[in-house]
Order: sequence, then structure tokens, then C-alpha cells
Amino acid sequence: MAKHTTEAVSTAYIPKITTKKRSQLDIFRKYWMFYVMMLPAIVLLVFNNYIPMFGIIIAFKNINYADGILGSAWSGLKNFEYLFKTSDAWIITRNTLLYNSGFIILNLIFPLAFAIMLNEIRSRFVAKLHQTIMFLPYFLSMVVISYLVFGFLSDEHGYLNTSLLPALGLEKVQWYFTQEVWPYILPLVNTWKNMGYFTVIYMAAIIGIDDEYYEAATIDGASKWKQMTRITIPLITPIITIMTLLQIGKIFNADFGLFFQVPRESGVLFPVTNVIDTYVYRTFLTVGDIGLSSAAGLLQSVVGFTLVFLSNWVVRRINKDNALF
Amino acid sequence: MEAVEKISSGSNLKNQLSKPASLGINIFFIIYSLLCIVPLVLIVMVSISDEGAVIRDGYQFIPSKFDFAAYQFLFKDATQIFRSYSISIFVTIIGTTLSLIIMALYAYPISRTDFPHAKFFTFFVFFTMLFSGGLVPWYLVYAQVLDLKDTLLALIMPLLVAAFFVLIIRTFFQTTIPAAVLESAKIDGAGELTIFVKIVLPLSLPVLATVALFQTLTYWNDWFLSLVFITKDANITVQYLMYKTMLNIQFLANNSTAAAAINAAGGTFKFPSETVRMAMVVVGIGPIIFAYPFFQKYFVKGLTVGAVKG
Amino acid sequence: MKHVKQKTSMLLLLLMTIVLVVSACSGNNSKNNAEPAKENAATNKPAAPEDATAASDLKPYKISLVYPGTPQTDEKKVEEALNKLLTEKINATIDLMPIDWGAWDDKINLMIASREEVDIIFTAQWNGHAKNVGKGAFIELGDLIDKYGQGIKESLDPAFLDGAKINGKNYGVPTNKELAAAGGIVYRKDITDELGIDMSNVKTPQDLDAVYSIVKEKKPEMTPLYTTAGTFNSHFFANYDFLGDSTIPGAILKDQDATKVAAVEQIDRYKEYLNLTRDFFKKGYINEDAATTQVSSGDAWKAGTVFSTVEPMKPGKDAEIASAAGLTGKLAQIIMTEKTVATSETAGSMLGISSTSKDPDRAMMLINLLHTDKEINNLLNFGIEGDHYTRNGEIMTATGNTANYNPGSAWMFGNQFLNYVWDTEDPDKWAKFKEFNQNAKVSPALGFVFDSEPVKAEVGAIANVIKQYQKALETGSVDVDKVLPEYEEKLKAAGVDKVVAEKQKQFDAFLASK
Repeated sequence: MAKHTTEAVSTAYIPKITTKKRSQLDIFRKYWMFYVMMLPAIVLLVFNNYIPMFGIIIAFKNINYADGILGSAWSGLKNFEYLFKTSDAWIITRNTLLYNSGFIILNLIFPLAFAIMLNEIRSRFVAKLHQTIMFLPYFLSMVVISYLVFGFLSDEHGYLNTSLLPALGLEKVQWYFTQEVWPYILPLVNTWKNMGYFTVIYMAAIIGIDDEYYEAATIDGASKWKQMTRITIPLITPIITIMTLLQIGKIFNADFGLFFQVPRESGVLFPVTNVIDTYVYRTFLTVGDIGLSSAAGLLQSVVGFTLVFLSNWVVRRINKDNALF
Repeated sequence: MEAVEKISSGSNLKNQLSKPASLGINIFFIIYSLLCIVPLVLIVMVSISDEGAVIRDGYQFIPSKFDFAAYQFLFKDATQIFRSYSISIFVTIIGTTLSLIIMALYAYPISRTDFPHAKFFTFFVFFTMLFSGGLVPWYLVYAQVLDLKDTLLALIMPLLVAAFFVLIIRTFFQTTIPAAVLESAKIDGAGELTIFVKIVLPLSLPVLATVALFQTLTYWNDWFLSLVFITKDANITVQYLMYKTMLNIQFLANNSTAAAAINAAGGTFKFPSETVRMAMVVVGIGPIIFAYPFFQKYFVKGLTVGAVKG
Repeated sequence: MKHVKQKTSMLLLLLMTIVLVVSACSGNNSKNNAEPAKENAATNKPAAPEDATAASDLKPYKISLVYPGTPQTDEKKVEEALNKLLTEKINATIDLMPIDWGAWDDKINLMIASREEVDIIFTAQWNGHAKNVGKGAFIELGDLIDKYGQGIKESLDPAFLDGAKINGKNYGVPTNKELAAAGGIVYRKDITDELGIDMSNVKTPQDLDAVYSIVKEKKPEMTPLYTTAGTFNSHFFANYDFLGDSTIPGAILKDQDATKVAAVEQIDRYKEYLNLTRDFFKKGYINEDAATTQVSSGDAWKAGTVFSTVEPMKPGKDAEIASAAGLTGKLAQIIMTEKTVATSETAGSMLGISSTSKDPDRAMMLINLLHTDKEINNLLNFGIEGDHYTRNGEIMTATGNTANYNPGSAWMFGNQFLNYVWDTEDPDKWAKFKEFNQNAKVSPALGFVFDSEPVKAEVGAIANVIKQYQKALETGSVDVDKVLPEYEEKLKAAGVDKVVAEKQKQFDAFLASK
């Protein structure tokens, strides 16, 4: 099987080779080592990602396992219908896009600021300690986080209702029935969980900056703020760009755990917590048809793909080197 | 060749923050760190609370009654736990090492702007981030084409190449390695592999250390691969061993029909209480949290070494 | 952009090549897998062991049994003991393949999709039985039951096999257990005794108001009615027959004869119970976090602060809950609804034979043994006598080793009336069960299961609407007058009428064919 596929990969190349035969051969001769280096990853990607991609056709099929995936009957766009059946279609699209746009911004600004500030802490030990601790929430699964959030917000035993609000002389709040607060709670939880993760990436980028820039800046008497806006940020722009582009690709895919576990399936909150992934999951629980989830997945991919393409095009216009492809 | 050890921009005495600003930053981080630690402390506290008290009063930072029954319950079957630990450790170490090597090997060529196919292969890996065929076809490949069911390889292989990390590494290669260095090496007659191993890798330790850390976590935290590919409990990772129970609880919470039917049919569920669930969290992530500072020590070493320039 | 276009077309080409290669591969695979099964089924059929001595004529065969449940420490030991008995009787051995509930749906789906070779799979109407039959996962059992399932036919009430049919055919053998269903409450008898409350007059949910108000007043730390969903509008309590999956709208009343399908929101009983539950909630009888808590009623019982819960009833439900919660002797139950028999019970627990089984005959022989052979049945359900339990007549006592094999899956395998009884249970349990099974009202829809395929899109959209409103409404957490109309409107928009009409159409066709 492995052999077949590598052959398949090389046959796919033929058209290009024949059109520009000479130069392509030269390229191969010059960079043969690169192909050898990339081979393990290519093989893995083919098996782990590209071969299973034939499953995309499931989105257009009425699956019957006895007939196999290829043998099942075609169903046209029928599997997509349920996504647009109700007014929920608008709500889940809006929620998914708004939350994810918010997350992209939050996951950029805060971790970047944290990384820059951490870098200014004089004691290495302290900086390391903070960085380690900030990473802790990332270890927790969303299910556990949902327990913790419930520990704070529960009607009967939650801290806010049993301790904090009474202490402030305020009325109890039924948090899981109060829509208005969730557009803040969810980004808060998300940022809290992922802060350490993104900070580490930006830390690595900042550490890679040549010290000479800062030395020169000090000699010129540049303030810290100037150093940040003129040296640090411009120099790590490529990494900021790539992180943003990659997240834009996933803008139609919501973090299932966050939106499903944390609000505890409280129906009253659906207008502000229902996203594409949770909507699809609930349908799947009742209908149990992989065609329906496949259809949603394909739609998410196509939208993500289109958006990345557009943003990449914009990036390319501004600075060719920062573009993804 | 003068080696300057770079630690942070703050290490340059002339370029330090003013005292009040520095103090402010320190206070800020102390508060934020507390926000991150407190919930973990809560988890530990619940895990050593009395079960009845937790249901009656909810979570308490200082349990009204201490009780280590949850851990006694878990470690009744200590051999299974330790077996799963060893599987997790094995998978994590081998997986992280292999994936780092494979991803770096792929990221380097696509980081080279002079390589004409760089854009295509960037796209080739990026595409996998967006489109997927779904669980069933993916499973068919591993179970039928590759026949890896019930093997440790099935716990390692699917996570070896992550498009996200490959692209991050690529970007770091592009930004941190001066083209001039590569040029001069080439003029000296070094082959591509030599350049990669002798020049690129040493200069890229910060990003490699970061990705290694992330991959360690990915492997350690993974439970889904065990769920899908391993049929005999003896060979599951510790995360899945601990997470299984949560999944069972979730199943019943989300399938009211099933729950009612099972209840009516006479199925009894002996679910561990919340204290045991929290103890499971502690057992599942404990070792890696304790190992993390050690990791970090080496990472920081790597980071400083990485900044050595000639 | 030109650049990129070229890249994309290259990628597409590459993808297509891969797809071709793979489809060739997977095509082969499915053929390879499917053919031996057919062959075997054909060749094995003539070798029927009509008498016991024929066991030696059979080739040795390992039967795999896939069921949901937690893997047990002593599984190997029990398998060996079972193998000894099975080799003697049908020259087979057994491979127990328990799968945790949390992984069950995923794994069974993948197992079926990848056409993995297994023999017996647990299945149930509420666990996608009809869907999996539609997907070709199970074989039709009529002939096999006639041939090797004589014991099943003799011991099992015919209502079970009739009630578990899909399009007139059986794809699963139901477990022989309670046939009737009813709803009611389980409550703390020690508390009512202490407070001097007379429970003998409590017959309906409305009667509970007075009781709860006393409990609330005298025992303020207790939750009079603990619930996490459904309450009095649970289908088992309100006697709704959803004609299949209870998450798909459209029901008839099991305790009546009318065959008009309606969305439950249109049924008077639904509104009545909603208002009652809301009233109870407002009076503080119901736990405040009912709609969001994940503390199961079992756990809540353990904490000792629960006065009562709504439960599906059968004899000894109180004792069952009591022993699990450490409240033995303190609970009692009241049945509040008419006893009914519907598909949800008859097809609520079955063993099906996978269409990938290499020897369906032998699988059926095993199922037959589980229905007739006391020794094998109890061995599978409770482990080895003298090791996992000690026995005195029909009564079992737990030992130090019980925890190492106690799957708690007796309701899935064969004939529950063969089970021994734990010393914590009512010794007359099975006699009471048999009595309970008598004289139950049979639902007009017994044996009918709705096929949601034609209205898949509507059902998919409705699933979200239901999740949004149902739990909050049925636990009394929200205002009925305000939320119910909103709920109904959204259901309408999502196409509930179409689903109900389709249900009615299929149901009418079923009735006509009967």
C-alpha cells in the first residue's frame, strides 16, 4: 500500500514535469536532499490525512455500511439541508464567527503583551515560575473546567451565589439562565485556558530577536514603548501573521468542549452558546447519521479555506514574505 | 567568535524597566498566577474531601471533612495504573522525539525561499489542517489498510505530523536564520543535510523546545486514540484510564433516552463520586505537572544556548 | 494568484489519484470481508446439532460477545470457566468484549462501519437498533431462532419477539425480563414515618403537593423532589409512546387505544404535568439546579438529602436504589400510572447477530443457552461460585472478590428469571416480576418502530430546538405560559408537523398490515 501511494504522489507530478521538463529536472537534481528530508512527513500526511479525505464524499451520500462508503447511494445536497432549516442557522453562524473572531484577537493581544512583560522581569527564576504556572490551565480538559465553572456559578452551591454576592449585598443570580453574561464568561474561560500556550510561542519568538537591536536602541535613548513598537513587534510580525492566518482557517470550527461542556447544555443559553459544532453534535445524537456531520464539516472547511485564501492574498499584497503560500 | 549569552532584554543593565513599572508587572503576574493555581488547588482539595460533604455543600477550598477514600479507591488497582503510566510515558517520549524530527525535517525545505516547490509543500501540509474526511474513513485507514489496531504505533502515528506546528517551525526558520549564514555554508561546500543539522537546528532551539513541549502535552493528554484503537484495557494510556469515567458520565448526561432506558432495564451505574473524579484528574495530570519544571529547566537551557551567536 | 491556482490543481490531481488507489484497496477489502461470512453461513447450516451429542461434530469456534459495560478484572477467569461449559455443549469458546458506555457509540459505529468480524452485539431500540438494521449491521434471525432457538421460544413471552420486530422481522433476541412498565416515585419511608405522613392515599402526582409541603417545612435541608430531567413528563411516567426514539417528536398515549399521533405539546396531559412541575418548582420542592446539574439522582440519594425521585417502576425498584445508595430499608415506592407494554420495553435490551459473523448458527446457540442454561447464565452475570459469590439455594452473598467480577449487565443477557438473587434483594423478586408482567395494557403501537430517514433534515433541526427548551420546561425551571408557546412556535418552524405526519403515515401503514 505504501508503495502504491508514493507512486501516486509522483505520478501526480508528471504534468508539471513535462511542461517544464528541463528546469524541473534541474530542481530535482539540486534539491534532491529536500525531498528525502520531507519524505517521512509526506508519507504520514498521505496516510493520516489525504487518504481519509475520500471520506468527504460521505457528505453527499446516504451511507449504508453494508454497501460500503463508495457503494452507498448519492443523496445530493440533502445532508446539508438541516443546517439551514431553522432560524438557528443564523444564530450558530453568528455565534461561531463572533466568538472565534474575538478569540483570535484575544489570543493575540494578551499573550503577546504577557510575553513582552515576562521578558522584562529581571529575575529569570520568577519569570520562569510565572510562565510555568500560566501553563497549568492548559492541562485541564474542558470537562474538568466545566466542573470548576459550575463550582463558581452553580445556583445552590456556587461561590458567587453562596459567598461573594451575599457579601456584597447583592441578589443571587441564576447564572445558567442569564444569557447576558455568557458572551463574557466564554472568552474569559478560553483566554484563561490558552494564555500559557500562546504566550510560550511569542516568548520563543521574542527570545530569538538579536540583542544588538536593543543595544543600539538604548544608545539612541529609545524608551521601552518605542523599543516594543519599533523593534519587538515588527520583528515578530511573521509569527504573528502566521498564527493569525492559521486561526482564521479554523474560524468556522468552534471549540466543542468550550461551548458544549462549560454552559452545561442549558437550553436557555443557546442563543448565545449554540455554535456550529454543538448544533451538529446534538443532531448527531438524535439522527446518528455521519452524512450530516460530514456535510457540516465540509462546509466549515470550505469557508475556512476561502477566508484563509482571502486573508493570505491581503497579506501577500502588504508583505510577500509573510504570506503563507 | 565571542559568545554573548542572551537572557532577556532586561539583562542589559542600561535597558531595564523603571522600578515602579517593574514592580507593577511583578504584582500583575502574581495575581494572574494565583488565578491559574487556585482552580487546581480546588481540584486537589475536592479530591481529598468527604464525598457526602461535596454533594451537600458543593466544592470547598477547605473541606469540612478530609477523606482520602478517593485515592484508596483508585489505587486498589495500582498495577493497571502503573502499567498505563508506563504506556503513556513510552508513547510520549517516542512520539515527541519522532514528531519533532519529522516535522523539523519537513519544515526546513519549505522555509527556504529558493526552493521552487516550497509553496506547494507548504500548501500540502496546510491543506490537512482544513479538510478532513471524518472519523470513519480515518479509522478505516488505520484499522484496515495499515492494520494498526491494538498496537502502540496507533497511539503514536496519528499525532506525528501536526500542520500547525510544521508551519510555526517553518516561520521560525524563515525569520531567525540569516540567509547569509546559509549562503556562506553553501559556499564552503556543505550539503543541505549538514547545513540543517549543524547550523539550522542549533539556531532554532527556542522553537524546537516550544514545539517539543506542546507535543509532549499532546501525547500525554491524548485519550481519544486509546478509545478508538485499543480494545484491551491493559494497553490504554493513563489519560484514557482516568477519562473513561468522565466519558461514561457524559454519555448518560447527554443521552437522556439511553439513561432512562438503562435505568428502567435495571442497569445500575456505580459511578465514582465527584471526589474520585477529581482524584482521577490529579492522577492523570499529576506526573506531567511535576515533570514540567524539569522540562522547563532544559528548555531554558536550550533557549539560552539557542541565542548564542558567533 | 496564478501561482496558487496551479498549486491547487496539482493538489486536486494528487488527491484524485489517491482516491482511486484507495477505493481500489477498500473495495477489495470489503469484498474479502464479506465473502467468507456468506460462505460460512451457507456451509454451516446443514451441520445442525439437533441433539446434544452433536457438539463434537461442530468445528471449534470462538464466539465474540460485544456489549456495553466496564471491563472486569477477572474477565479471563470467567471466560475460562465459560469455555469449559461451552466446549462441552456447543464446542465453542467465548471472547467477552465489554466496551465502556462512554466509548460505546463511537466504537460500535466504527466496528459496524469497518465490518469488523464479531458475532453477537448488544442492541436496543433506544440505541439505534432500527438505524443499524437499516445499515445492514445485523442479520435476520427468524430461521435461526426456529432452528437453534427452541429454548428461547419456550421461555420467552411471545409479546417480546413480536414487539421487537422491524418490518415484520426479528433482528435481535430480547432479554427475558420485565415486560410491563409503569412510572411512580421512590421516597424516604423513614422520613414519612418520622413525620407521621400517611402515604397510603398518595395515588397521583397532585397528591404529592401536601406531602412535599410537610417535608419542606419540617426538613428544610432536604430536597423534596430531586430531578435532573423529565420529571412527571418523562415518557415512562406520562405513558407517551414515541413509536421509537423518544427524542423524535410525535407520540401516542400508551394507556389508551387512540392511534392519532401528536406532538406531546398538543396533548393535555403534557401541559397539565408541566404546570404541576412548575408549581412544585416555585414552591421550592425541586432542586434549583435541576436543568444544569450533572449529579445523578443515584449520587444525590447517597448524600442523604433527597426525599423522593420520579422513577420507571418495577417490583423492588426501591430496594435496588436503596442498596446502591446505602439506604437499605429506608425507601419505599408508589406506582402512579397504569402498567403498559410497548416497544420500548420489548426491544429495550436485545442480542443481535452481526452480519460479519462467520458462524451465525453457533452465535444463536449461545444466545439460546443464555436463555435456558442457568449455570452459564449466572456464570456470565455473576462470575464463579465460591469465588465471586457464595450461594445458598437461590440466594447469593457477596464475597471479598465480588468487586473483581460484577459487571451488572444481567439485563442484557438472555433470561433474567434464571438469575440468582443477591441477599440484599427481595428473595421473591422473580415471582413478583412475573406477577407484574401480567395484565398490563398493551400499547397500540407494540412492535412498531419509526424510520426517521425520510425526514432526516427536520429531525436534525428539531433535535436542537428540543434541547433548548425541553429540559428547562420539564424540570419546572422556567415559566410555562411564556416559554411553552415559544417552544411550540420554534418546533413548528423546524418542521415538527412534517415529522408527526410522517410518523402517522408509517404508523397507519403498520396498523393496516397487522
